[in-house]
Amino acid sequence: MPAIHVSNLTKTFRTKHKAAGLGASLRSLVKPQYTTVEAVRGLSFEMESGELLGFIGPNGAGKSTTIKILTGILFPNAGDVQVLGYTPWKQRRQLAYSIGTVFGQRPQLWYHLPAIDTFTLFGKIYELDDLETKKRIAYLAEAFEIEDLLEIPVRKLSLGQRMRCEVAASLLHKPRLLLLDEPSIGLDVVAKQHIRDAIREMAAQENVGVLLTSHDAGDLEALCKRVIIINHGQIVYQDKVSVLKRSYLTWKLVEVRYAQQINPDFHVEGTKILKVSKDHYAVKLRFDTLQTPVENVMAHLSAAGTLLDITVSDPPLEEVIAAIYEKAERNE
Amino acid sequence: MNKYLAIFKINLLNSLAYPAEMATRSGMILIFMTVFFQLWHVTYGDSGTQVLNGLTLQNIMWYLLLAETIELGRPRLARVISEQVKDGSIAYLLNKPYNFLLYQLSIGMGESLPRMGLLFIVGGTLVWIMAGPPPQLQNWPLAAIPLVGAWLLHFCFNCLIGLAAFVAEEVAPFEWIYQKFVFILGGMLVPLDFYPVWLQAVAKSLPFAYMMYGPASLFVRPDLQLFVQIVSGQILWLAVLGGLLVLAFSRGMRRLAINGG
Repeated sequence: MPAIHVSNLTKTFRTKHKAAGLGASLRSLVKPQYTTVEAVRGLSFEMESGELLGFIGPNGAGKSTTIKILTGILFPNAGDVQVLGYTPWKQRRQLAYSIGTVFGQRPQLWYHLPAIDTFTLFGKIYELDDLETKKRIAYLAEAFEIEDLLEIPVRKLSLGQRMRCEVAASLLHKPRLLLLDEPSIGLDVVAKQHIRDAIREMAAQENVGVLLTSHDAGDLEALCKRVIIINHGQIVYQDKVSVLKRSYLTWKLVEVRYAQQINPDFHVEGTKILKVSKDHYAVKLRFDTLQTPVENVMAHLSAAGTLLDITVSDPPLEEVIAAIYEKAERNE
Repeated sequence: MNKYLAIFKINLLNSLAYPAEMATRSGMILIFMTVFFQLWHVTYGDSGTQVLNGLTLQNIMWYLLLAETIELGRPRLARVISEQVKDGSIAYLLNKPYNFLLYQLSIGMGESLPRMGLLFIVGGTLVWIMAGPPPQLQNWPLAAIPLVGAWLLHFCFNCLIGLAAFVAEEVAPFEWIYQKFVFILGGMLVPLDFYPVWLQAVAKSLPFAYMMYGPASLFVRPDLQLFVQIVSGQILWLAVLGGLLVLAFSRGMRRLAINGG
């Protein structure tokens, strides 16, 4: 039995629509105008138990709405959903014992209290006995390296520290499935890496399935085996991450800042210069790793002057999606 | 049951996280009680009598103390729940294995208990100094039971208004109306005994009198008949409002739209 089975899932929201100005406000009092937004449109997919599945897409693609339906918080308009054998919106409480959730943009830890208090509370809520809770907290504290953070009021933790505590808290009751909605949002590179490592290790050790939403392609590369990309509430791509990487994530963006002005006819072989700053101190370029090895580019860049700063990043997901659309159109 | 006790305890801890803030807020009752005392002192002075509508100045002050303790100490859940809907944090509260309404009940108690306790002690000390000692200790249980009933009724109203945020954009106006009804028809500023008979009848046929007047009145004027009347009224209104609450929650869940993300 798959851990998640979704077929033809549809969810629409009705939002009040109002033009600017006093007149429009008065009109909307008498006769409100509503716009229907289709957040999820006929979505179908499956996820095996223990699988690490990336669910990505730009803002407003319908990722969070889908996760909220999977946890039973939102009622869908149409479609069939089974999560670990339960229909989420009908069996929300039974399902809750077997799933863990993290909504990266919202805190679940009690803000003014030390994280250990929330952990203990969750132990009671999930009906674990006190000894079991204690052992589990000790185990998670080690896995997420939060031993020293548990006694500090949550408001005093950094975002990265807090997120590690948040994810650890969601694993307290040994869920079979972890639903992570943007767990790395707002984190710096080091904190992101930290949290990705911990999630990957825990998932492997406890055979927890992880469904992860993100709009950061890096999360996906680090954590997931398979990926579903959605946009406007529909699936635009689903395949192994390795295939996606080979076909679409081969470009890298590089931003460099030099200590002195660079040559006006600056050029690095095998790359495309996107922008040279007006003062000629900084340059932005992109290249295809399949055609130009990273080390060649780096060698060229450092030969061109004294480097002050360098950032290498993946292309933004919007570009990946655009490329997927482009390819689909070419094939039609 | 254990989990609800744990929820109650964590909010109790949370309320105690900032003792200075809580103490300052409790200070409000000193201002209110001083103003009330001045007003009623003048009223009794002008009337040239010790007893008005069966109540002495001392009675009135202890009545008002209990009424103010209920009003200032009652759960502020309407605002809390509507904020949770607006900022999306409700998602975390709905995906845990507990009854959402009992969760809110436990949260409300954890918040109210220390606050009401402190308000009563701080305000009571001042009232004792200004107007004389509190009613005899053996009267207290007669007020304590309807006090719990009153609290539960406030909880129901707050939760219903909070749940309105599942469908309405803004719940502050509902809260404003509820508060004004409690002020006037609940007998918060003036005991209902001072109202014309017809208005007393109107007030007593609505739930608000059971949320303020009932326990406050029994505190200063213990009467078994009034006790039975108040408690049975509370049970009736709790059944009505509790039923509405359960219905509103199950209906509201179907229409919930969570912001953000």
